[in-house]
Amino acid sequence: MPTISKVLIANRGEIALRVILACKEMGLKTVAVHSEADRDALHVRYADDDVCIGPAASRQSYLNVSSIIAAAEITGADAIHPGYGFLAENAHFAEIAGECRLTFIGPTPESIRLMGNKAVARDTAKKAGVPILPGSDGPVRTFEEARDVAETIGYPVILKASAGGGGRGMRICGDESGLQSAFDTARNEAERAFGSADVYLEKYLEHPRHIEIQIFGDTQGRIVHLGERDCSIQRRHQKLIEESPSPALTPELRQAMGDAAIKLCQSVNYVNAGTIEFLFQDGEFYFMEMNTRIQVEHPVTEEVTGIDLVKEQIRVASGLPLSVPKGDFRLRGHAMEFRINAEDPVTFAPNPGKIREFHIPGGPGVRVDTAAYRDYVIPPHYDSLIAKLILRGKDRAEVLARARRALEQFIIEGVKTSIPLDRAIVNNERFIRGDFSTRFMEEFEWGGLSS
Amino acid sequence: MNFKEILELIDKVADRGIGVVEIEQAGLKLRIDGKSAPQPQVIHSYAGAQPAPHVPVAPPPPPPPTAAEKAATVKAEEDAAEAGLHIITSPIVGTFYRSANPESDPFVNVGDRISKGQVLCIIEAMKLMNEIESDVNGVISRIYPQNGQPIEYGERLFAVTLS
Repeated sequence: MPTISKVLIANRGEIALRVILACKEMGLKTVAVHSEADRDALHVRYADDDVCIGPAASRQSYLNVSSIIAAAEITGADAIHPGYGFLAENAHFAEIAGECRLTFIGPTPESIRLMGNKAVARDTAKKAGVPILPGSDGPVRTFEEARDVAETIGYPVILKASAGGGGRGMRICGDESGLQSAFDTARNEAERAFGSADVYLEKYLEHPRHIEIQIFGDTQGRIVHLGERDCSIQRRHQKLIEESPSPALTPELRQAMGDAAIKLCQSVNYVNAGTIEFLFQDGEFYFMEMNTRIQVEHPVTEEVTGIDLVKEQIRVASGLPLSVPKGDFRLRGHAMEFRINAEDPVTFAPNPGKIREFHIPGGPGVRVDTAAYRDYVIPPHYDSLIAKLILRGKDRAEVLARARRALEQFIIEGVKTSIPLDRAIVNNERFIRGDFSTRFMEEFEWGGLSS
Repeated sequence: MNFKEILELIDKVADRGIGVVEIEQAGLKLRIDGKSAPQPQVIHSYAGAQPAPHVPVAPPPPPPPTAAEKAATVKAEEDAAEAGLHIITSPIVGTFYRSANPESDPFVNVGDRISKGQVLCIIEAMKLMNEIESDVNGVISRIYPQNGQPIEYGERLFAVTLS
């Protein structure tokens, strides 16, 4: 059983600090790694040791496997927490760490590899009996083939490039004539963009919600789910607001989704924290993908379960059983997270620079996870997330009221942030009713900064 | 040591033309460099001491400087004294070794004439011995790290007088 006494955090920003705080509470030593652009970052200041691992560019620093492993070696770290993003879902990194006798705080390299490949993950889900979006098994090569599949699963359908991503080579078809005219275009586009004309076909959901299940497995083979997070408020696949429980789920649906998620994880002997993402529409849910890491929005689950997920990750990585009590599972109260980004709230253009004023809201039920501070200069090299505002309350109405006053209290000057947009969203009728899908932001209209 | 005593010490150092004085006591490290004129520079840090937050809700003020920051300040100080020298920094993270193995002679010593492409030291990372070569011709005027010392990316290794 590996003992963990000194943890290197292979990340930056709020998640690096989040892991350091968990380690401090567990009496573990910490090592921060940083690029030349992050010398003044808070995670560097709060860690016991710190190592500069490269220049500002992520590829040469936070994605530099050998630098990070060497940093662990020279500081005597015995474990690595990858955070999210960067190397968190890099099976090669997890493997190298293991070979260098460093405990990787996360799933096995095999799990990362298996679930990281979308086609394999979909196949694994199908075999485990987890509902997946109906569609063609593999690429469709002729229009006739596509038409037959579409008739079986029903319109509307979406054509996607097998080698694709990022929205290119995708065509939504409402009926057979639409499919006929889109089929060749989609293949041509796929050929030009990705070098392969292969396209596949899936049922298209017009107003789905993004609902994900937090799961956790330990080395004793126990796997639990910790309820859902509704992450439907997103813009171009970037989540803006997450909450738990979802306003759309009944206890029965929650149990069905939780059971499906557990079944999938059992089929691959999953260990540590993971998230199963589903699309949900009209009372049906479909497996989308699995994330084999801690998520940005993990605090939402922590607030409604009372479980510290990062500490639990470290516990499980050192071979201990999950501390989650056995027996009936239920969520307590309601929680919501707002991602505060340094970006223009109207155009969403990133806005790095110096934070001149930074005032964090407080009071009952308010938590702020951040690595920013007054006079901190947000470097232009990394993502724009500067804080997460998390509210907890006895029900959704209390959380919304708390969110309104906390967003009023949250003052950041010097850079533009998403706070004005969040203030508008929490006063939107449909958001208040909990009646929304992933299309919410496409339809959301607001007066900009004046509100 | 109080502020007045520190000031007195600085005056003494300046009066006698002493190069560098370093004093380390419990919770206090003081370094006075008499040579890096025009102004004597003082670096001191109080381990463990943390000023009180000025605004209750603001994040606490940064903790005392870390080793890296102290090193950075010392580096800045040395910049003045070593202006005109070419500094070779580490391209990787690892452990610094002056020779190929514990029995053999160091690759270079202070005063050695070196040429571009010559191996100056080894930095071990992930069990790999990475040879660090000189990017200039000149004479080694200073070797910064001790043998076996951990090295960060960008840390100073050698100062070279260009020829």
